Amino acid sequence: MHIEIDEIAKSFGNTNALRPVSLAIPSGALVALLGPSGSGKTTLLRILGGLEFPTSGRVLFDGQDATGLSVQERRAGFVFQSYALFRHMTVFENIAYGLRARPRRTRPPEAEIERRVTKLLDLIQLPQIAKRFPNQLSGGQRQRVALARALAIEPRMLLLDEPFGALDARVRKELRHGLREIHDTTGLTTVFVTHDQDEAMELADLVVVMSMGKIEQVGRPQDIRARPATPFVREFIEA
Amino acid sequence: MFDSTLNESFVRPAERPASKWRPVTEESPLTRWILIAVALGGLAVLVLAPLAVVFAEALAKGAGAAIASLAQPEALSAIKLTLLVAGISVPVNAVFGVAAAWVITKFDFRGKAFLITLIDLPFSVSPVVAGLALVLLFGSNSLLGGWLVASGFPIIFALPGIVLASVFVTFPFVARELIPVMIEQGRAEEEAALTLGASGWRVFLTVTLPNIKWALLYGVLLCNARAMGEFGAVAVVSGKIRGQTATMPITIEMLYNEYLSVAAFTLAGVLAALALLTLVLKTGLEWRHADQLAATRRH
Amino acid sequence: MALALLRSQKSPMPGFGLGMGITMTMLSLIVILPIGALLAKGISYGPEGVWATVNTPRVWAALYLSFRLAFVAAVFNLVFGTLLAWVLARYEFPGRRIVDAVVDLPFALPTAVAGIALTALYAPNGAFGSIAKSLGQKIAYTEWGILIALIFVGLPFVTRTVQPVIAEIESEVEEASATLGAGRLYTLRRVILPLLLPAALTGFALSLARAVGEYGSVIFIAGNLPMKTEIAPLLIVIKLEEFDYNGAAAIGIAMLLISFSMLLVINLIQIWSRRRIGHV
Repeated sequence: MHIEIDEIAKSFGNTNALRPVSLAIPSGALVALLGPSGSGKTTLLRILGGLEFPTSGRVLFDGQDATGLSVQERRAGFVFQSYALFRHMTVFENIAYGLRARPRRTRPPEAEIERRVTKLLDLIQLPQIAKRFPNQLSGGQRQRVALARALAIEPRMLLLDEPFGALDARVRKELRHGLREIHDTTGLTTVFVTHDQDEAMELADLVVVMSMGKIEQVGRPQDIRARPATPFVREFIEA
Repeated sequence: MFDSTLNESFVRPAERPASKWRPVTEESPLTRWILIAVALGGLAVLVLAPLAVVFAEALAKGAGAAIASLAQPEALSAIKLTLLVAGISVPVNAVFGVAAAWVITKFDFRGKAFLITLIDLPFSVSPVVAGLALVLLFGSNSLLGGWLVASGFPIIFALPGIVLASVFVTFPFVARELIPVMIEQGRAEEEAALTLGASGWRVFLTVTLPNIKWALLYGVLLCNARAMGEFGAVAVVSGKIRGQTATMPITIEMLYNEYLSVAAFTLAGVLAALALLTLVLKTGLEWRHADQLAATRRH
Repeated sequence: MALALLRSQKSPMPGFGLGMGITMTMLSLIVILPIGALLAKGISYGPEGVWATVNTPRVWAALYLSFRLAFVAAVFNLVFGTLLAWVLARYEFPGRRIVDAVVDLPFALPTAVAGIALTALYAPNGAFGSIAKSLGQKIAYTEWGILIALIFVGLPFVTRTVQPVIAEIESEVEEASATLGAGRLYTLRRVILPLLLPAALTGFALSLARAVGEYGSVIFIAGNLPMKTEIAPLLIVIKLEEFDYNGAAAIGIAMLLISFSMLLVINLIQIWSRRRIGHV
């Protein structure tokens, strides 16, 4: 599904989180929103997911205006920075949540749900933890469960907010490969937010460098490295 | 990835103007206002109405009659006795609370959980049962009690009994307020002071006490409110002797049973006003010093 | 030394001896000895004697009444208290702080004051009682009066235990539920309420424990008819007035057992929830 961001702006009270920004995300791309804190990258991600409503501008999914779509209608798989796993549910129940939440019409039978959850657990390479609770998992495991939970609803796109932020360096590297593999397997349009430029450059097909609510540059990692468009980008890449 | 059971690209987007949008974590304004109305209505009927009745009945024959009833010897001695009882019970429980909290939070030892359970015990015991226990221990028909009465130090039907009963029912209050706060504050500051050569008392007075002063005040407030208002335990233990062992709540009961409504409700109004004052001070403390109070964090 | 046995290792922190001394002395004098005296009386009376006293229709009726009405009151407080906690934790409205303080009034108000106030309110000539009278109902001096009094004293417990938990629910969890396709009611049912459950149950048990032993708030409005509207604590008082110390002790022990089981239930809830959810 290709995504178009058309002059999206967002202000909270007197603060401008996003000046009007426009961006075209090709279908199936793995895109990084890269920038320091306060650059508006998370706000933009949340607007894509429907968790915030833009002050002006439109979001288009496959050419159709999706700005007014509710969160539930968007079917955007969202992985939060804190993972936001349901503490009182097992890993299995977490992953199955989205499927069980569907109205009876579209809800798969329990056996089918079980099949899909098992398949997802294999995909994230954690088949043995189905019965555990989130407080019994490591940070890396929680992140993968959050990912599987978002994938379970057969999303149109995958949105991740600082997915590796809370993890130590070694785990981060492993999970980066994992995310790339999952993206390549599913072919989903994926957008992730990060402040770590190594991460963005290594993982993404397309990097969007942001600062203070504006997009500084959009391009492939090698292009941005070779030809930084603005002084900010140059300094940020060097850092 | 899976065969999709949702056979569409996506639904026609409903036209949703910006004014209708709200975050997913919020309910619709209508729902919100209905819930608020139910909550406030219920609170008004269940809590505010009784409070209002106290003052309405007290002033039923005018403010003059109300004040006159307070000047009666019965009421005056009740007030004096209640103040005296609180004046003894609250400091006693404050000292206990500080000591217990100190021991529990600054040291590790086995049986801590059991100790905490014992301290919490008065919370779950009916006040009448508490009074009964004291009567059985100190009453004139027991060994200890008989000896005490003979020596001229009766406990039951006298001031000491009332004090003991009040101390019992308010026993955990100060400790419960202090313990979570002191746990959160940790031991590092005290240990640092010790390494700097301060003596035990100095550490306590200059490091610990300032850190816990608001929690201590909070606990003392609650302790005082309950000590002044205790009825069930005192009813059993005091013998309700007018002018001698009749605290304010006991006197309220006696006046009420004698159909002296204005007198009863006026005295009750004094206690109600005290309760309101306690709430105001409590709220003030929570507002200003929330970070140093146990009540604003989960136990 | 006994103190050294208590401490697992020597600590540089001063005051253990003094602190423990004060703590244990007061604990013994105020709590352990009196409760011990009560239990000792029960033992000297003998289990058969205790049972004989308790196993009479009047005592059973009183215990049953106290427990049954306390239970109903606690259930009401569970529902209403949770609603109240939600409104206070989540919504802004004028006077919110005042309302927050008002919730604590039943804690701070002396039970005798509450008792006569409620009676005045719900007696046939009272503000609410007269409404009931015109509908042909009676509140004061019936079970309904007792119920209202028990609701009053237990009201803050659920609200106070649940409110911080509501405040601590991360908004991301609710957002996550929505992104997975769940509507608001589903999220409420499957995500929010389960997270509140341990705190709500704790509040329920605290409310119940308080109501079972309540005396001052209830004694005026209750009517006190044996077998009909006589609460258990009143029976103890009556026995004492008759100098039947054994009988009083027997009922007191029965009530103590009820209190202890409540305490146990509360602790079990907290252990279960800590294991399941990782916190209380």
